[in-house]
Amino acid sequence: MTREEILDELKSVFAPYTTNKEMLANINDQTDLITDLKINSANLVDIIIDAEAKYNIEIDYDSADKMINVGSCVDVIAEKLKQK
Amino acid sequence: MPGIGNDVVALRAIDVDRTKKYRFYSKIIVDSEKLIYDEQLSSAISFEKFVWLAWSVKESAFKCLQRYRHDLVFSPSNTLISEVHLPEYAASTTTEGLGFDEARVYRTLLTYQGHQLYSRTMLSSDFIFTVVNDTNDFSNTWWKVKKIGSSDPEDQSLEVRHLLLYKLHELYPAAQFFIEKSLFGFPVLFRDGREADFPVSFSHHDHFVGCAFAC
Repeated sequence: MTREEILDELKSVFAPYTTNKEMLANINDQTDLITDLKINSANLVDIIIDAEAKYNIEIDYDSADKMINVGSCVDVIAEKLKQK
Repeated sequence: MPGIGNDVVALRAIDVDRTKKYRFYSKIIVDSEKLIYDEQLSSAISFEKFVWLAWSVKESAFKCLQRYRHDLVFSPSNTLISEVHLPEYAASTTTEGLGFDEARVYRTLLTYQGHQLYSRTMLSSDFIFTVVNDTNDFSNTWWKVKKIGSSDPEDQSLEVRHLLLYKLHELYPAAQFFIEKSLFGFPVLFRDGREADFPVSFSHHDHFVGCAFAC
């Protein structure tokens, strides 16, 4: 999958946890999950678990810690997909 | 300047079944913390509440240190709770205070990035509310948790700022306060035009907001 495809698909992972639908439609690598998408930090683990299920990957502690903006989420998922 | 951080978890908003799954809780607690639960706490607190208590402690610890360590990354697996002390009595129904009723809160000792930190957690039927300090003395810590009518992030933000400013005006009626958000996302309090010499911390989840400061 390309970065663009992952980024586009990630919108459906974020969707249940954000009310900022306008921002969600226009996310880019710099979009911050908490400050821009207004996702509550308590849902960050949900997002990691949902991403694991969607891409059939396992996201380890260190990788999960990096998933604070859209770009880092795409990077982690792309790396894990490459390792499959 | 002392550090402070707080967090609130609305219990009605957590997914109990998901929390109990290894794949989920292992992102929040590590093996040594699971062992503390199994050996010392399992008869006193449900596992899902323990997981979210640990989350609120770790999130509060991150907020406590973030204002001094701007490069810090929130890392539950690297924030290690080494001691958990159970309350002797049921949680108080009080939702505001200066210090805590020590016999009615969970107390933990934790380390993060080489820093030793301390927490106090109230666990009610509706919420988990935690404050973390870099000292084990919470007698000068003012805190408040409140249920509000909206879970919209903008409303949560306005309401929690109002709570804090109202209290500050009560304590220091002659002073003018305002709050700005730092570039790194934490709130900064200004008193009479200058950055105040005590940190403040905000939290929100679902219909609950919480705040704390050391005065």
